Amino acid sequence: SPLILFPCLLTTVLSFPRRSPPPDPHPPIAMAISPRLLLPLLLAAAAASAFAGANDLVGELQSLRSRSPAGVIHLTDTSVTRFLSSPAPRPYSVLVFFDATSLHSKTDLHLPQLRREFALLSASFHANNPDSSDLFFADIEFSESQHSFSQFGVNSLPHVRLIRPEHSRLADSEQMDQSHFSRLADSMVEFVEARTGLEVGPIVRPPLVSRNQMILLGLLFLISIPFGIKRIMEGDTLLHDRKLWMAGALFVYFFSVSGGMYGIIRHTPMFITDREDPNKLVFFYQGSGMQLGAEGFAVGFLYTLVGLMIAVVTHLLVKVESLQTQRFAMLAVMAIGWWAVRKVIYLDNWKTGYGIHTFWPSSWR
Amino acid sequence: MAELEAGSISMAAGGGGRLRNALSGMLCAFALLLIGVLAFSIRLFSVIKYESVIHEFDPYFNYRVTQFLSKSGIYEFWNWFDDRTWYPLGRVIGGTVYPGLTLTAGTIWWLLNSLNIPLSVETVCVFTAPIFSANASWATYLLTKEAKGHGAGLMAATILAMVPSYISRSVAGSYDNEAVAIFALIFTFYLYVKTLNTGSLFYATLNALSYFYMVCSWGGYTFIINLIPMHVLLCIVTGRYSSRLYVAYAPLVVLGTLLAALVPVVGFNAVLTSEHFASFLVFIILHVVALVYYIKGLLTPRLFKVAMTFVLTVGLALCLAVVAILAALVASSPTKGWSGRSLSLLDPTYASKYIPIIASVSEHQPPTWPSYFMAINVLAFLVPAGIISCFLPLSDASSFLVLYLVTSVYFSGVMVRLMLVLAPAVCILSGIALSEAFNVLTRSMKFQRPISDDTLPTAGDSTPGSSSTATITTSTKNANIKKEKMGTISKERSSKKSRKETELVGSSPVRPEKEEKLCVLPSEASAMGILFLIMLCGLYVIHCVWAAAEAYSAPSIVLTSRSHDGLHVYDDFRESYAWLRHNTEVDDKVASWWDYGYQTTAMANRTVIVDNNTWNNTHIATVGTAMSSPEKGAWEIFNSLDVKYVLVVFGGLIGYPSDDINKFLWMVRIGGGEFPHIKEQDYLRDGNYRVDAQGTPTMLNCLMYKLCYYRFAETDGKGFDRARRYEIGRKHFKLTHFEEVFTTQHWMVRIYKLKPQKNRVRGKLKLKLKSSSKTSLMRKGAGKKNPWQ
Repeated sequence: SPLILFPCLLTTVLSFPRRSPPPDPHPPIAMAISPRLLLPLLLAAAAASAFAGANDLVGELQSLRSRSPAGVIHLTDTSVTRFLSSPAPRPYSVLVFFDATSLHSKTDLHLPQLRREFALLSASFHANNPDSSDLFFADIEFSESQHSFSQFGVNSLPHVRLIRPEHSRLADSEQMDQSHFSRLADSMVEFVEARTGLEVGPIVRPPLVSRNQMILLGLLFLISIPFGIKRIMEGDTLLHDRKLWMAGALFVYFFSVSGGMYGIIRHTPMFITDREDPNKLVFFYQGSGMQLGAEGFAVGFLYTLVGLMIAVVTHLLVKVESLQTQRFAMLAVMAIGWWAVRKVIYLDNWKTGYGIHTFWPSSWR
Repeated sequence: MAELEAGSISMAAGGGGRLRNALSGMLCAFALLLIGVLAFSIRLFSVIKYESVIHEFDPYFNYRVTQFLSKSGIYEFWNWFDDRTWYPLGRVIGGTVYPGLTLTAGTIWWLLNSLNIPLSVETVCVFTAPIFSANASWATYLLTKEAKGHGAGLMAATILAMVPSYISRSVAGSYDNEAVAIFALIFTFYLYVKTLNTGSLFYATLNALSYFYMVCSWGGYTFIINLIPMHVLLCIVTGRYSSRLYVAYAPLVVLGTLLAALVPVVGFNAVLTSEHFASFLVFIILHVVALVYYIKGLLTPRLFKVAMTFVLTVGLALCLAVVAILAALVASSPTKGWSGRSLSLLDPTYASKYIPIIASVSEHQPPTWPSYFMAINVLAFLVPAGIISCFLPLSDASSFLVLYLVTSVYFSGVMVRLMLVLAPAVCILSGIALSEAFNVLTRSMKFQRPISDDTLPTAGDSTPGSSSTATITTSTKNANIKKEKMGTISKERSSKKSRKETELVGSSPVRPEKEEKLCVLPSEASAMGILFLIMLCGLYVIHCVWAAAEAYSAPSIVLTSRSHDGLHVYDDFRESYAWLRHNTEVDDKVASWWDYGYQTTAMANRTVIVDNNTWNNTHIATVGTAMSSPEKGAWEIFNSLDVKYVLVVFGGLIGYPSDDINKFLWMVRIGGGEFPHIKEQDYLRDGNYRVDAQGTPTMLNCLMYKLCYYRFAETDGKGFDRARRYEIGRKHFKLTHFEEVFTTQHWMVRIYKLKPQKNRVRGKLKLKLKSSSKTSLMRKGAGKKNPWQ
């Protein structure tokens, strides 16, 4: 699970010195007016300023958005106070992605990937709702905005929060839970649509190669066809190298029988740490429904190894002149083969718990 | 292991006189007969341990269709509109079913009956799969023989006869498409390779017919129509084009596509969907290449160069035009012309992202390494050797086998179900590997004996002890004998070869090369090696018999469990279906989750709302929504579908794990996919579906929970669920809109009836207030808690 409580992060948040509150962006405007008119005017002005202020904020956010890549506004402590601490019914929701550059190197958190997906979500939302001011996307970085992290009460990453118009306290805002990271942008869409009632629309993923590159590649391919055909007719390409095909076939076999596709589809790690003893690594998972990467490749290696050894004996060793070499090689092959087969059978029994037994006639027992 | 010995004997004896040929032929035929018997009989465990009964889910549908076919005849079958399922939509059976299996079993039944052998349709259906397994192992023999000779063929056939992966889908009673389709697959490949080796148009035509049979039988035919073009392309690219290749491929595409379009379920898909485009593209390329070769034969090298450039430009232009048209066609369809299942093969993560109904099926999950060990066992160790053998030397046939293995092993990695397609490839290649290994080892033992070579030595005669001492002491003397030997061997080989070549006109150039020197190993080590290989085969046999007897023989319609006080049999499914058949009106509609649709129509003969043919996602989602709604909402949905009875499968009392509560997440997920008011989060506590005290109110209030656990606490007082191993969350409640009508002996199936709508009486409100009965209060209370209202 990518959610990992980060003690150092927590302590930094707590030990951060309190800052003085930032200056009020809307100083009172009714200073120079006589006290008699003060009350009604003040009321009217307050209402107007609140209204105008909200409009200002929306406009400001929109302009910020248009300047940010993928429409994800970068927030700091000041802008959090400005945009999110304003009085409760705000005319917009904000979805905030909590980022920490220092943790980008932690691969199991997948922060950069999630950040990219978040940008994709934002870009898709704006592509589908160009003028919408109901929902803004923002990110916030830990090292420069520690105060806001503590205000939101965020002490673990990855973390995404939705601040809806009616949330008056930042800590009240709603956290996107783990299940919504699982399918990346697609599942984030579900969260946004469920909680805001806004239509995000289909996720627009940028193609791997842009259109111009595509045309260029197409052209290059077309040009290379005649040369390729000429080479093939002459028969001196890599494609005519049997060893290459053989190695390829063996590799595909190795990869498949070791359950490599399982690892790709289920995103299983190579190994996990033991729950009881964090210093111990677990390479073999007991239970047939799941496998770790390393165990699969280990067993796949044993499968392939025995096969290769048999092939070596039947095709290569027979051509060796020296009887002694042959004898030793065969003994080695048989010993290793015996060990490998036993090992796999043992591991299989251990993992699946199947008790494979023979069926002898009952009178023999 | 009898077959194995016979195989090596027939190999060894192949070279001699006519008598010896006849003998080896007889031995080979006898071995094949035994292999057939083995393949048939190893699949009978289910009949012996249980009874002669159709298994699981899909086979029941096939059985029902076969019954209809045998009763009403082929034309009625072709036009059959089934109103017993997918109510109120119905289903056109004739046009949506692969008819191969049904027609095969129907024909067998008709044939037997016209011979006055009065077997029931059910018996024929039960034994169709074992019969076709025997056929499949013979087809494997033929295919392997084309590539590597009789010995490898027999070995491969023996291995295939008992490979667990294939047994899992073809035990007696497993009356499903795959049972005949695997035979058709192997046989089509055999005919393709045969045509490739002979260049005979006769075999090419047979090949197209066999392909037609495959298309009739199974959707997996797309594997053939993509694999063969791939092989053709590979041959062209690696400079192996020949007229035989042309004969093998062109008729298959033309005839095969025409024939495939005749099958109603395929129809114009045979030319319209992307799965088939590769074959047409390769068809064009093949013609261009054929033209090039033809012109090359006509012209002088200089003229050819000129012509070549011309042909290349024209050919390329043509190709590009076709590619552009194809691309436009493909791009115009929403899924790019590929069906969901094929797409999830190309992009393995596709299904899990976009198609829950495909991802929900357990056989569409990617396998782990123990699955491979379970399905092909020690063969996994032998295949790499087989691959290498196929490359030494590489022929058209052996390259095809390697390609088949590589593609199928990749596909099986994506979907555990396709392990079935992998099994023949694995068997063939490990058969080749074993046969080569035995060949080398027995040869080593045979030819190091310093005895005159008049007698016909076989593997059995040679005694390792004497031969080893002889070799060590007389190794120099042996040189002469070896040379002599070598002479006879190469003579034998060459005579065999020349005979083969007269048979096979223009046969592929690669044949076993003449040996420069006698390749042998030390004999005592060889003896040990043989011993080890036999032990390996022994492990395989033990595993296969165990798998056939224990793992795959359960029919899943009858369950057994063995405990300290003996064997328990749970026959609840048939009990409930029989109850439905005898106690409900003929036209009553029964709602259940789709898994039980086929069984209900076949065994209870009642109309169902959805069944295992998951063609209409919305309809399934409707049932899923009803099951995950509270009672009142569910009643409304079911009532609108004219449902009278609701059937749920419940394993809590006896600890049966694959019951409806464990399938419930898919009901929510599929239902929520179509009807957004069902939200998965409402049912989840910490990411899990729980029905204990921690379960969410929505979960504990939905119809599925109520129907499963109604009166459950009365059984043991605590409501302890043995399938999930905890006490349930809500123990005492009453049903307002449903009434229990039948619960089977072990509570595995519970059937409820929808209560009729209450009459709308004047002053009802007053009456209700007056009586203030407990139930109405209860109902009101439940209604208020209900988050949907």
